[in-house]
This record gives sequence, C-alpha cells and structure tokens, in this order.
Amino acid sequence: MSVPHTPDCPRCAGDAVTTVTTSPVPGVWEVLQCPRCLYMWRTTEPERRTSRAAYPALFRLTEEDIASASEVPAVPPLRTR
Amino acid sequence: MPYDDLRSFLDTLEKEGQLLRITDEVLPEPDIAAAANAAGRIGEGAPALWFDRVKGFTDARIAMNVHGSWRNHALALGLPKETSPREQVEEFARRWDAFPVAPERRAEAPWLENTLTGDDVDLFRVLPLFRLNDGDGGFYLDKAAVVSRDPADPDHFGKQNLGTYRLEVIGRDRLALQPVPVHDIAQHLRTAEENGEDLPVAITLGNDPVVPIVAGMPLRYDQSEYEMAGALRGAPMPIATAPHTGLDVPWGAEVVIEGVVESRKRQIEGPFGEFTGHYSGGRRMPVIRIERISYRTDPVFESLYLGMPWTECDYLVGPNTSVPLLKQLRAEFPEVRAVNAMYTHGLLVIISTAKRYGGFAKAVGMRAMTTPHGLGYVSQVILVDEDVDPFDLPQVMWAQSAKVNPREDVVVIPNLSVVELAPASQPAGVTSKMIIDATTPVGPDVRGNFGTPVKDLPETAEWAAKLRTLLAGR
Repeated sequence: MSVPHTPDCPRCAGDAVTTVTTSPVPGVWEVLQCPRCLYMWRTTEPERRTSRAAYPALFRLTEEDIASASEVPAVPPLRTR
Repeated sequence: MPYDDLRSFLDTLEKEGQLLRITDEVLPEPDIAAAANAAGRIGEGAPALWFDRVKGFTDARIAMNVHGSWRNHALALGLPKETSPREQVEEFARRWDAFPVAPERRAEAPWLENTLTGDDVDLFRVLPLFRLNDGDGGFYLDKAAVVSRDPADPDHFGKQNLGTYRLEVIGRDRLALQPVPVHDIAQHLRTAEENGEDLPVAITLGNDPVVPIVAGMPLRYDQSEYEMAGALRGAPMPIATAPHTGLDVPWGAEVVIEGVVESRKRQIEGPFGEFTGHYSGGRRMPVIRIERISYRTDPVFESLYLGMPWTECDYLVGPNTSVPLLKQLRAEFPEVRAVNAMYTHGLLVIISTAKRYGGFAKAVGMRAMTTPHGLGYVSQVILVDEDVDPFDLPQVMWAQSAKVNPREDVVVIPNLSVVELAPASQPAGVTSKMIIDATTPVGPDVRGNFGTPVKDLPETAEWAAKLRTLLAGR
C-alpha cells in the first residue's frame, strides 16, 4: 500500500515508499520501505538516515546500481535429469 | 554446569556483575547500537547490556554485547571470569578433543508456547528490530544460528549445518540471506538450486551462549556443530525438532523462524557494516520466505553490534578461530605453543613456537597460510619465540622490534587466495601474504647479536597467579 505524503526514499529517491509497520505504542513511529532499493527505516531515526537531503552520498543508490548489482552467490545452471 | 538457554546465562551474567540494565527510556535508533558500540570502547570487562524501555515499543526485551568481553566469553564457557584469553583458548582446545558429543533430543521446547503461521507471520510482532550502522540497508538479524540440510544427503546429521549468516529484514515475512560461497549453507543452496528446489531453513535466535560460538566456527563440512557444542559444554547439547521443517534446532532458543530459501531468486541486499570494519553490500542475494515463527512467551531479542573493531563480534570469533589453527598446526608441529588468530577472523595471526632448527619458524608461518582457514584468511603471520605470549601485544611488539632484521625476516608472497570481503585484496579474493619472523635465529641460522636473553624469573608465573587471586578477592 502506498501511503500519501510519505517522503521519497532517502537512499535512491524512489517515490513509492510503503509503510511496513507502525509502533506498538500508537503514533510514535512508522517503519517505511522503498520497494525499489528495499531500504528500510524508522521515522524516528536521525535525519542522516531518513531524509534524502541529509542522506550521505556514499550510501546512495541509483536505479543503475541496483540493475547492475552482481549476484552472490551466482544462480547455478539447472541440473538436467 | 552448562547453560541450556540464554535466560539462565543472563542470570549468571547479572550475578557476576556482567550485565548492565539500562533503565532510562532509549530510542531504538541510534541508542541501542551506540550503547553496544560504546561497550567496546570502555576498556576491559565490558558487561552485556539489557534494554526493556525502548520508545514506541510496549514489551521489548533486548540483550546486546552478551559475549562482548573476555569476562563474558569465559562465563559462556563456564570458566571463572578472570580467565585470561590465552587460558580460554587453551581450555577451548582441550575440550575440542572430546568431539563428537552426541546431542540430546528433548520434547516440549519452550519456544512451542506461541506460534504465528500463514498471514499472521510478522517479524515485527515478535522482534523489536532496529538498525545498527548508518549505512546499513535495513534491520538485521546478525546473531542468529541458521540450520539447513544437504539436499543430496538429508539424513547425514553432520552435514546438517548450523551457521551464523547475516540476515536482512526486507519485509514482514521476508529476509535476505548472505551465503558466502565458502560457507556450508552455500553448498546446500547450490544443490537445491541445481535441482530447482527451495531450501528449507530454520533460524534460531536468542540461543544458549555456546551456540553462537560453534555457529561461527570454521569446522569441516561434515562435522556437526551440535556435536562440537556438546564437547565445549562438557554435556550433550539439547536439541528439538522444528515443527514445520523437521530440522534439528537448539531446544533452548527464544525464537525459531522456519521457511525456505526461494530457489533461483536474488534481490538487492545491504550494505551492512561487517566484521572487517567496512561495509559490504549492494549485491543481489538469496531471499528467505518465512512460513512459521515459534517463540517463547516474552521473547528476548539478542543482537550484536559490529563495526570498527573491537566489538562483540571479535570476542565471539577470536577464540573459535584461534583453536582450529592451533590444533591443525600442532598436529604437524608440536613445537607450536600458542596461536592468536583474533584479528579480523584471522587475517592476521600471531604464533608462538619453539624452533627445531634455523628457518623453522618461517615454515610454521607458511603452514598457517595453507590450513583450510588460512586459504581464505591468514594474510599476515607474526612468529614469536616460545616464551613470548602471542596474546600480549606489547610483548609481541618487543619481539618484533628487537628480533626482526627486515631483509631476511620479512617474506612477501604474491597472488594468494583470501576472502573477497578482505578490504585490501586486489582484485577482491586475491592478496599478497606476509611472514614476519620475530623469533630468535637458531643454528645454522647464526644471524644477529642476541647474546644471552633475560628471562622471567622462575617464580614469576606463580606470583602472577597469586597477584590475580589477591586482586580478584578484594
């Protein structure tokens, strides 16, 4: 489900951020996730982890980074029976 | 008396003054990770940390740094908390000789008290998850023991594997798994994926304190971690059958998560701040679909902080890396006195050895590089004399400063194998390796002007023990 007014993903700037869970004490925090890069964060974390503007360049991901990421371990060939 | 679960060990830590309850309310981030990070920065004897007032949670119970000091590591092995690192490694090696000790199957595991299945499966309902380091891609389970079987030989108990692998929470019922190709679970997964089949797994959290030690131990592929746990405990390890997968899991776990690694699927994972003191990630990794969660009432969530050493991770894998190397080296070279392989899982190793003849110490160093663990680690070896304690770094630095003539005593071998995670490898997985021979040359190697060494007085060892006892009794 896409939540209205949620921020863009701090890491990849994806705009389809979803709510994964909410705090057991109502209204304290939410856990959000970007479905594109799978980055997950809690809304009460420091700004350096929650805001696109403050998110360190070092940790940012682009769509190309995700698409070109290597497989570990590589998927092996199917065994022919 | 061995511990059958985490709770009884936490009781002991508290009685021994080695568990600190944080009574102020804390934020899940950054407080819990920062406190556990700080535990590694306050000197010797750091306690385990307990949090139960965490903002936004109603009933969180979080244990951090449970193995995070030599005192806690000693207590985990049932040793007096003053036991020195070198003595802990020696005792560990002595107990290893009892391997294998068959486990004991028990019924009515406490984690059968509560179950979530189907649409109710939700990690967030059971675990107070939190982030460790700034660049981590999400919340991780980093102190879990993951159980899987060899699909080609599912009835072989020894090939059933119990290992610690990093697990990233990527959904309420989904985890990303990092099986490095050299790890046993990667062999299981490869076989399953070649057959186009999912690999069943059980992930156990909050285990008795010997489980994380054996789960991070470089054992042979067909050696059972449960049988090693029995040897280290001095009593059979209690196990139980996981209800959904039939896998053998620790009886005393707080939480047992069952599911499958989905065949031939990879998703973006990480990064995660690793034991190397560097992040790794941004790669596509296998995904676990969770189908059942079983848990004790009021479960304790155990996690560990890792990052720039030293952290709990270093205490956890230090002795269990040193012991296999010590055993393997001594099998061929009984002159080897002690092995300290505690730096970055044994990327650097310090070995104390007597010398059979000139050049012998360098041979010991080369052998360390060709042990099974050495093939992926051991990129630097420092060799010291038999009377130098390799766990006493000032003494090691004395040996290196006084005994090494660099042109003859430093040997660099190019293009050898190392784990891809080794930050200095170039390309990843290949490195040069170095031997520093800081032993005193013996004939026919007649180099140097070493004269007569000043030795510790014969009575000093006795006095050291006496002083320790007097200090402990104050």
